[in-house]
Amino acid sequence: MKRQSALSIIVLLSQLTSNATWAAESLHFAEETSSSGLNSVYAGDWEQIVGGGVATFDCNDDGFTDVLISGGTGPAKFYRNASEQGGPLKFASQTSGLELDNVSGTYPLDIDSDGKTDLVLLRVGENVIMRGLGSCKFERANEAFGFEGGDAWSAAFAATWERGATWPTLAIGNYIDRKEEFSPWGSCTDNWLHRPAGVEQTFRSALPLKPSFCALSMLFTDWNRSGTPALRISNDREYYEGGQEQLWHVEAGSEPRLYTEEEGWKRLRIWGMGIAGYDLDFDGYPEYFHTSMADNKLQTLAAPTKDGKAKPDYKDVAFAKGVTAHRPFAGDDLKPSTAWHTQFEDMNNDGLADLFIAKGNVDRMPDFAAKDPNNLLIQQPDGKFVEVAQTSGAWSVANARGAAIVDFNLDGLLDLIVINRNDPAQVWRNTSAKAGHWLEFRLEQKGANRDAIGAWIEVKNGDKILSREITSGGGHASGQSGWWHFGLGKETKTEARVIWPDGTIGAWQPVNGDSFYVLEKDKPAAIWTVQ
Amino acid sequence: MNFVRKIASAFLLALLICINQSGSTLAQTKRLQTLDVVQRWYALSLELVRHTPTYTPPVASRALAYLGVTAYEVSAASGVLTSLAGQLNGLEATPKFEQGYTYVEAIVMQSALAASAQALFANTGPTGQRALRRLEETLRWEVAGTVPPDIRERSETLGKAIANHIMRWSETDGGAVIENLGFPEKFKLIQGEAAWKPTNVVALQQMPLLPNWGKNRPFAMPSGATCKLPGPPTYSEDKASEFYKQALEVVTAKQELTPDQKAIARFWADDAMLSPTPPGHWISIALQIIERDQLDVDKSVDVLARLGIAMADAFIGCWDGKYQYNLLRPVTYIRRLIDPIWEPFINTPPFPEYPSGHSTQSGAAAFVLTKFFGENFAFEDTTHSKDGIKGRSFLSFDDAAAEAGISRLYGGIHFRAAIEHGIEQGHCIGAFTNALRTRH
Repeated sequence: MKRQSALSIIVLLSQLTSNATWAAESLHFAEETSSSGLNSVYAGDWEQIVGGGVATFDCNDDGFTDVLISGGTGPAKFYRNASEQGGPLKFASQTSGLELDNVSGTYPLDIDSDGKTDLVLLRVGENVIMRGLGSCKFERANEAFGFEGGDAWSAAFAATWERGATWPTLAIGNYIDRKEEFSPWGSCTDNWLHRPAGVEQTFRSALPLKPSFCALSMLFTDWNRSGTPALRISNDREYYEGGQEQLWHVEAGSEPRLYTEEEGWKRLRIWGMGIAGYDLDFDGYPEYFHTSMADNKLQTLAAPTKDGKAKPDYKDVAFAKGVTAHRPFAGDDLKPSTAWHTQFEDMNNDGLADLFIAKGNVDRMPDFAAKDPNNLLIQQPDGKFVEVAQTSGAWSVANARGAAIVDFNLDGLLDLIVINRNDPAQVWRNTSAKAGHWLEFRLEQKGANRDAIGAWIEVKNGDKILSREITSGGGHASGQSGWWHFGLGKETKTEARVIWPDGTIGAWQPVNGDSFYVLEKDKPAAIWTVQ
Repeated sequence: MNFVRKIASAFLLALLICINQSGSTLAQTKRLQTLDVVQRWYALSLELVRHTPTYTPPVASRALAYLGVTAYEVSAASGVLTSLAGQLNGLEATPKFEQGYTYVEAIVMQSALAASAQALFANTGPTGQRALRRLEETLRWEVAGTVPPDIRERSETLGKAIANHIMRWSETDGGAVIENLGFPEKFKLIQGEAAWKPTNVVALQQMPLLPNWGKNRPFAMPSGATCKLPGPPTYSEDKASEFYKQALEVVTAKQELTPDQKAIARFWADDAMLSPTPPGHWISIALQIIERDQLDVDKSVDVLARLGIAMADAFIGCWDGKYQYNLLRPVTYIRRLIDPIWEPFINTPPFPEYPSGHSTQSGAAAFVLTKFFGENFAFEDTTHSKDGIKGRSFLSFDDAAAEAGISRLYGGIHFRAAIEHGIEQGHCIGAFTNALRTRH
């Protein structure tokens, strides 16, 4: 019996090692920054120590994801995706109207639900909403939308459509008072909640979210599957006094209010810089990765329930899962790390979400790594992660901030773009030959919230259901819209369904692997191909 | 408005210097401005302690001691106070005012503290660097006013020379270089039931903080091992043992925590990166008293130097004990033997338990402050008011030290012995500081 157990352990270990080896060997990236035509730097000094985001979206309806990169003190740069399906990555710089300076972060969102993606530009100064006009042209819409841009150091964003609303609610996170020179600590400025102005398609005056603690990332997320997303805010403890991480109730018709210790909220104080959420353990509830300096956090509900009444009490499983990512995994500079954008995506299409972390020193801080490589951590079947950034070719020690993981060339393999502070942005094409099968979906619904922010897509994969929440926000200064990707491993046919933002549960629909589908509410899944 | 007043006073000062290079009026004006310089550099230093990632409590105590000695030696340079050179371990004669030449003490102090702060916090982040630059630029301009260039330059040169002298001395104490935020990359954990084990899932903190800190050169006491500890109760898992009883006391304390005890635990938590740390907390107390009682500059730099020295020595002595006994934390023992899911009320620090650092340094601080200000010296402590934590009132420094000590039991991070022995150790360490001669 004992010998059998020992053998089982050996077999298991061998499988794990084999899987880890496979993950490391199967994933390949080719850096195509120069050949792609991408040439952009997030530049600046103290007021650009945070930010440096990228927005990815399709503004000319060709299915290929276009790019806007924050320029810091320089103008933001728009690139039309000129890649061909399955081919090398190509980007064409193009005047779009988005070329504003002092842009720190940028998020795409179809605010007026006209089918044309708009962009929220977070700035050091006035925030600006740029309305999409089609054909990748944009115009300022602050006045038309009743949006108060204010004058702050904005660094975080999240959006939701509150229950029954025809206009979105935008949360904007603001950092310190940049005019406070002698003692900026404790000068966190108010975050803002821009809610709809009743029946009119405009925003009300911004509602300050007090207290505010120097937000660097925000995410509207249905953390307890109650059907109503809450606002998770990650705050930088470097600057707040009496602060902590936050979770806000944001419910239609009610004033926002913080989750309390009586409700189960546990105080956490980190150098919060980025948030990513994904249901890693297939229990229907998202886990959340929070970037910081040195150790990062991977939170899972301490006591999940099925009735939507779980307490917001999380335990940190980063150490157990191997994702503390607290120092460079390679190189000759092994001081503690500084982490920014983070994102869960299935990079090798094995049906398990992987984790990317952008790394970069704040600004010549000698106690932290100056050459701090980005992490690409591949999830293994046992739920632990293995680092492959170096072996896969996605290695970089540039001073990273924002990033996006996107299938730029529509080959079913996710590519990577990273924005660096005072260094050129970089892009890698995923060239893995042995990746699994995949699916990509785009959601559509009629009327408001056309892109179905707040929906959940579920995909059957063997005995598991893969589920991901469709959100707008999070990461670090970087947002995405468009295709939502799933890896399927060996599956070539499966079923998918959507739980729409209003709670409607769509029917399971048969879908073929290695395909793009448009999932429109109350309609059968429609396959999409490049025209 | 306040800024304008300060500019005006700078011009007044300069005028007085030009007209009259000695005399009580000049001295009084000059010394008031010198104290303002001291207070503003200390205020920034406490912020930098909080916001510089290597600044764990031992490291903070060291920096605040050197800053205090720097300010003190500026006042000693004019001959008003007795220099600490020859009294502190390894400190050789510091630069002095040269006879026959005029100096502006506020300029000397500004120049010295600017140079010291920039050296001690050289590793702070971009915001700290920016604040250091801005304060130096502003104070330099304020204290200079229309002081003749030769006097200004001479005063600045002397200030820098004093700071450089102190900083060169600091480089040889064993605590100048902090790697990996103080957590050794390689360290062999001692095995055994009683031995310290990591208490959290932070990867960096799987090794204990600054295991060699007890070997550093102290300031006033002979060595880290000078003030011996009786040792914790003998380790035992027997329910009738003193060790078990002290663990059970921690469990019971948490179960029965009153609102005031919770407030006490949080008030003295003084977490690194979220507060000025325990030594910064006591410096803050001293600064509040200086302001409240309008102490003159000599008394102010005297008490700040003494307090800094005593606490720095306390951390060296305490750390010597911590790694001699290498005792496990309550959370480790309690989870193993009493309650597997037990959680302390505050975060358990990542290093061995015995003795309690806050207790040793608070014992030393109270011992020094009591000698300086007297017994039954009542005060209010509003150190954490900006963090929304209500101030607390104390009847004496010993009263405050006792509360700081017991706060660690309420917080669930120390056994009683570590607290009581720590305070006693602090008294022993503080006696060496009290023996320093600062007045002629």
